[in-house]
Amino acid sequence: MLSLVKSLKLHKDRIWSIDESNGLLATGSSDRCIKIVNLKDNKFELVDELDDTVHKKAIRSVSWRPHSMLLAAGSFDSTISIWNREESGDELSSGVLEMELLAIIEGHENEVKSVAWSNDGLYLASCSRDKSVWIWEADETGEEYECISVLQEHSQDVKHVIWHPSLQLLASSSYDDTIRIWNDFDDDWEAVAVLTGHEGTVWSSDFEEVESNLRLCSGSDDSTVRVWKYLGDDEDDQQKWICQSILPQIHTRAIYSVAWGTNGLIASTGSDGLLAIYQEKEEGQWEIIAKRALAHGVLETNIVKWLQIDGNILLATGGDDGYVNIWKLKET
Amino acid sequence: MSEFINENPVVLDNNQLPSRKDGGSQEFLLGDVTDEESVQRKKLLFKLDHSAKSPALESVELLDRLLLLDAPPDLTSDEESEETEEDFHDASETEKADPIDAQEIYDLLAHITDPEHPISLGQLSVVNLEDIEVHDSGNKEEMAEVIVRITPTITHCSLATLIGLGIRVRLDRALNPRFRITILLKKGSHQSENQVNKQLNDKERVAAACENDQLLSVVSKMLSTCK
Repeated sequence: MLSLVKSLKLHKDRIWSIDESNGLLATGSSDRCIKIVNLKDNKFELVDELDDTVHKKAIRSVSWRPHSMLLAAGSFDSTISIWNREESGDELSSGVLEMELLAIIEGHENEVKSVAWSNDGLYLASCSRDKSVWIWEADETGEEYECISVLQEHSQDVKHVIWHPSLQLLASSSYDDTIRIWNDFDDDWEAVAVLTGHEGTVWSSDFEEVESNLRLCSGSDDSTVRVWKYLGDDEDDQQKWICQSILPQIHTRAIYSVAWGTNGLIASTGSDGLLAIYQEKEEGQWEIIAKRALAHGVLETNIVKWLQIDGNILLATGGDDGYVNIWKLKET
Repeated sequence: MSEFINENPVVLDNNQLPSRKDGGSQEFLLGDVTDEESVQRKKLLFKLDHSAKSPALESVELLDRLLLLDAPPDLTSDEESEETEEDFHDASETEKADPIDAQEIYDLLAHITDPEHPISLGQLSVVNLEDIEVHDSGNKEEMAEVIVRITPTITHCSLATLIGLGIRVRLDRALNPRFRITILLKKGSHQSENQVNKQLNDKERVAAACENDQLLSVVSKMLSTCK
C-alpha cells in the first residue's frame, strides 16, 4: 500500500525533475526556478529558491553531485547551470542553504533534456534534442568543465542519461526508441550496446544497484516497463544485453519515469498519473505489489525517485500540478 | 514563404460548418469531407435546402434528413440524444456532470486559421466533427480524453506539424488539465504520418515548442481568429 506522507506545493508550473542527496530534495520546473527542500527529521521545509533569472526557459533536469553540495541543472535554453553552497560542511542550522551560481556550461545546440553526475563525481553527462550525449570532466571545485566526449550515435533526441551507481557505465534513452550503453576505454567513450525492443520513445532508465548482476529497467511511450540484463562481452568489446522481462502492464499511457530502488523494487509513473511498484519474485518474474492512481490528481506525473531519509525508504513524485508528493510503501 | 504549398484547396462556407443548430442532421452534413467530390456533393445538397426539386434528392434517406433540417430545432431533445450517444457512463452520473462533447471540441478548433491560407481549419475540412473522439464522464476528479484526427489538405503538407501544434495549444489552453489530448493525422492523409504523430504527441517537444517565441507567435496568429 502506498500512503501519502507529505504533499508540497513548490512550483507555479509543471515539475519536470527531482533529485535527492543528503536529505535535500532539489526540484526543477517549467517556471524556471529550482527549489530545495530539507526532508530530514520530518521537516519538509523549503531551504532555498535559486535565482529564476539564470535560465531563460524551463529547467528540465536537476542532479546532485555525489558527496558534495553541488547541483547541476539542464534547461530548454540549451545551457547547464552549476550551483554550489557557499560554506559547505557545516550543518543546516539556519534553515537556509544559500546556493550560488558557480558556472554556466554551454555546448549543446538546443534543449538540454537530462543531466547526471557519475557516482564518483568526476563526470557530468548531458543530453539534448541535438541527438548528442556530452561527457564533461569537472575539476575538484566544480567551476571548470572540459568536454571529453561527444557521443552522437542516437538518430533522434536523447531524452535521458543515467550512470551506473558503481561502475563507469552510462545509459542514454532516446526518441529513436533505443537505449544505448556507453563505456570508458581510457578516456575514450564508446557505445558498447544498443537495447532495442521498445515501440516508442524511451523516456528514462535506471540501473539496479547490484554489481554482480548488471541490469537496467526502462520506461517508454509504449507504456511498458522493461528489464534488460547484461550477459557478457563479445570479442569486439561489445556488450550482450537481452530484454529479460516486460513488467506486468498496468499503465495506459506513456511512462515518463522509472526508478530502481536499493530495496530491489522498481517504481514507474507517467502520463496516466499512476504510480506503480513492482517486486521480483524470482529472477525475471515481476509482480505489482502496490499502485496509486491519480498520484497528482488528474494531472500527469513526470518523475519518480526512491529516497532514503532518516533510515526510511520513501518515494518522491513530481507532477504537472507543481507538487512534490512523498510516499511511503507499507507492507500489506 | 514565397509559394503556397497547396494553392487551390477546397473551401467550405462558414455557414456550412457543423454546429449545434444542425441538430439531428449533423452526420449527414458532415459525411466524409476528405475528397473534393464529396464536398461538391455536399455543396449541392446545401442548395437543395432551398430548391426541393433538385435531381440529387433521389435517396429517401437524404430527403428525410433534409426535412429534419427545416424543422425548428428542439434543443432539449437534441441534448438528450447527444448524451445517450456520446456518453459511456450511466445516466445518473451524467445528470450531475457536464461532459464535453465532440461538437464543443470542434467549435474550439474550427475557427483556427490555416497557417498558409486566410481560411479556417473548419472551412478547409482539416478539422472534421466526425474525426473528433471524446471520452469524458464530466467528473472533474477523473481523467478524460480527446482524440483529434486531422486531414491535411495535401498528403505532403509540410505545415501539418504546425497545424497540429496550433490545435494542441488551443485545446491545452481551453480545456481542463484532466484532459489527455492526442492529435493524429488521419490514416493515409500524409506521407510522414507516423513521424508527425510522434512529434505532435511528445510532451517534451510540445513544451519546448511552446517556449519558442517565433513558433508561438505563428501559433498565436493562427489562434487569433478563434471565437
